[in-house]
Amino acid sequence: MAGRSGLSEAAGSGRGIPSSLGAPGPTAYHRLNPLTKATIATATAVAAVVLGGLIGPAVVVGLGVLLPGALAGVLIRLVRTALLFALPLAASAFLVNLFFFPEGRTVLFEVGPITATAEGLAFALEILARILAIGGAVTLFYLTTPPATFVVDLERRGVSPRLAFVANASVQTVPALVERAAQITAAQRARGLDTEGSIRKRVRGILPIVGPVILGSIAEVEERTMALEARGFTRPGRRTLLWAPADSGAERAARWVLLIAVVALVAARLTGVWA
Amino acid sequence: MTVRLHGVGYRYAGAERPALLDVELDLGDGEVVGVAGASEAGKTTLCLVVAGIAPRTIGGRIRGTITIDGERVDDWPMHRLGGRVGIGFQNPTSQLSQVAGTVFEEVAFGPMNLGIARDEIVDRTWAALEALRIGALAERDPRRLSGGQQQLVAMAGLLAMRPAHLVLDEPTAQLDPAGTQLVAGAIERLAAGGASILVTEQKTDLLAAVADRVVVLDAGRMALAGPTADVLADERLRGLGVTEPALVRLRRLAGEAGLDRAPMERAAGA
Amino acid sequence: MPELEAVDLVHVYRESGVRALDGVSLRIEAGERVAIVGQNGSGKTTLVRHLNGLLRPTSGRVAIDGIDASALTVAQLAARVGLVFQDPDRQIFAGTVRGEVEFGPRNLGRRGGEVRSAVQRALEATGLVGEERTNPYDLGQSRRKLLAVASVLAMDTGVLVLDEPTTGQDARGVERIRAVIERVAAEGRTVIAISHDMRFVAEGFRRVIVMREGRVTLDGPPTEVFDADAWEGLRATYLEPPLAARIGHRLGLGSTPTDGALVDALRRRNAPERA
Repeated sequence: MAGRSGLSEAAGSGRGIPSSLGAPGPTAYHRLNPLTKATIATATAVAAVVLGGLIGPAVVVGLGVLLPGALAGVLIRLVRTALLFALPLAASAFLVNLFFFPEGRTVLFEVGPITATAEGLAFALEILARILAIGGAVTLFYLTTPPATFVVDLERRGVSPRLAFVANASVQTVPALVERAAQITAAQRARGLDTEGSIRKRVRGILPIVGPVILGSIAEVEERTMALEARGFTRPGRRTLLWAPADSGAERAARWVLLIAVVALVAARLTGVWA
Repeated sequence: MTVRLHGVGYRYAGAERPALLDVELDLGDGEVVGVAGASEAGKTTLCLVVAGIAPRTIGGRIRGTITIDGERVDDWPMHRLGGRVGIGFQNPTSQLSQVAGTVFEEVAFGPMNLGIARDEIVDRTWAALEALRIGALAERDPRRLSGGQQQLVAMAGLLAMRPAHLVLDEPTAQLDPAGTQLVAGAIERLAAGGASILVTEQKTDLLAAVADRVVVLDAGRMALAGPTADVLADERLRGLGVTEPALVRLRRLAGEAGLDRAPMERAAGA
Repeated sequence: MPELEAVDLVHVYRESGVRALDGVSLRIEAGERVAIVGQNGSGKTTLVRHLNGLLRPTSGRVAIDGIDASALTVAQLAARVGLVFQDPDRQIFAGTVRGEVEFGPRNLGRRGGEVRSAVQRALEATGLVGEERTNPYDLGQSRRKLLAVASVLAMDTGVLVLDEPTTGQDARGVERIRAVIERVAAEGRTVIAISHDMRFVAEGFRRVIVMREGRVTLDGPPTEVFDADAWEGLRATYLEPPLAARIGHRLGLGSTPTDGALVDALRRRNAPERA
């Protein structure tokens, strides 16, 4: 307190920031700047889509997803998570093309009234490779870059702190909402709300659960806003950051190289120089 | 540094009646002022007004004058006032920023927003953590702490802004006994260290232990004000919807039964 | 026949592996007034959620009126055991007080005059008569809590469970809760309250159950539970016996858990010949 002992004289303990803050990741790949990793992911995804055939995307997946994944030591989780998310889309895209490819002529086998064609299979595999490439690239980024680290990097580069806050806070909101909904459901079930009955009953059960979730969240947002404002949140301009992920000249150069390479690839494809 | 409220009234936006009327209040350096009153008597409103949140953040109409060291604060923006008067609320979780992965970053949040130099932020944060004896929690995830611990983190976050005054609105209302003990202890230590605190509470026993003066609100007006012992022993307390401290109640019942209160006083003081 | 019974009740939360209940055996007879105390994490909430089926035992058994609870759905149990949650804002969804209070009885299949009278009685008990058309969020926080109580009262269950009914209440609110409990008990219904207000517990309940780390450590009337011999056990759970009990002990007056008991004991000591 101003003019009082114990607080206005800074402890001057000579202590620094706790070591776990902005903890650098376990591997060199983790420690790359988030923008670099984001560039790698984007380049991988774009290249996989733009390159024709099957070999191209496969090579891109190998170089841009599997190799970094192995370097970062997250290969198994990467494959599992990417497959988990990509699978529904990949499976349906695969099946649709296998059986319903318009230029399919060479019949492979029949299942009732529908026919699988060789051309369809080839196309389906190409689509599959691209979906896996994109899914893999995004998952790799997600697994090696904590959202907070990414947002801090953006803020360091000039994104408004308030925008950065919103990005961070949105990610956190989902688990809190889920927990809130669970509690509310329990309270309403205790009042006889039947959550296991007929469809009609379940539809009628929506308002008693969704209502408090929304109303309660709104009420909490009000108090949250007051607390944030009282802590200087609305002060215009930049704020001090305690830490930020490192960046280097080498990485910056690498990002430019990747960017130029991808742009060149797209240009070559579009102008027909390279099929 | 003194905060002075003179003839202050406040009406929430869209409300028919004022929530506060004719409030006269001084909060000087090193004082602890307790505020008691029935629910909806205006305790929270008073906190919001002293901290400047009413009317800046939530709108509404304010009357009267509020001065800090004689200077009127009518046109101070919220972030300037926030640096002078810190406010804590009863819900432990809604005060967390939700974007801090560690208690350290949570406590540093305020000073970071103010653009203070990094080294000073680090010093202030450690000082605040130590004042509340939660240095050991520095690297923990604030969202996983108990309610009482979260309240202490919130208080540390306020202290890191080096406010001249702390306003605490029912800090122990939602806490279990362990949490209440944690927070009560922290308030006592801060008060003993010379902090200026305005604290509202239903738990008048807590106010009896820490407050120098107590104000009782009734329907937005000041009904009682004075030294703690006097106000909390006032016979009008029950009529105003305020729970008497345990000892006061015992004294009253013993008095009504025509008993000698001395043995009880001695046992209570023991 | 006991109204409620738990036999060797164990509950382990699957996601966290926490053993919240470690073998609890209890019998609560019809019409009893029981308070359950203990710090957060002691298992109090977990225990009462077994009474209406929101939680099912990992092992052990819960019986309501002799029927095994696992044979009944939550909606069915809600007709026998009404549970009022701690936070009214995680339950209130209707636009009017009447709508909110009607919800419970209607879920139980009641209609027309039966519902109207149940609502009327519940509003009378909680002092909310005249607010039928008020929006719940126009009531203060304290009265919203009473609304939550009313909405479960209207279900006319044989058992009423209140989770922290006095938290955040002012003196009048606490009085109101106390009056509700008296009224319900007078009707012969069983009342169970979780509370950490020791004075409220000592004055309003005939039986106090102390829990710690998933077990029952003390179980008896206030005179026994707040007797000096039990203090060490209480302090281990961060609970302080009421001031009256502490003073009574220091004055050698035996166990005086309530203000009234202390005053009576003092009176008797001063006038022994009138004993």
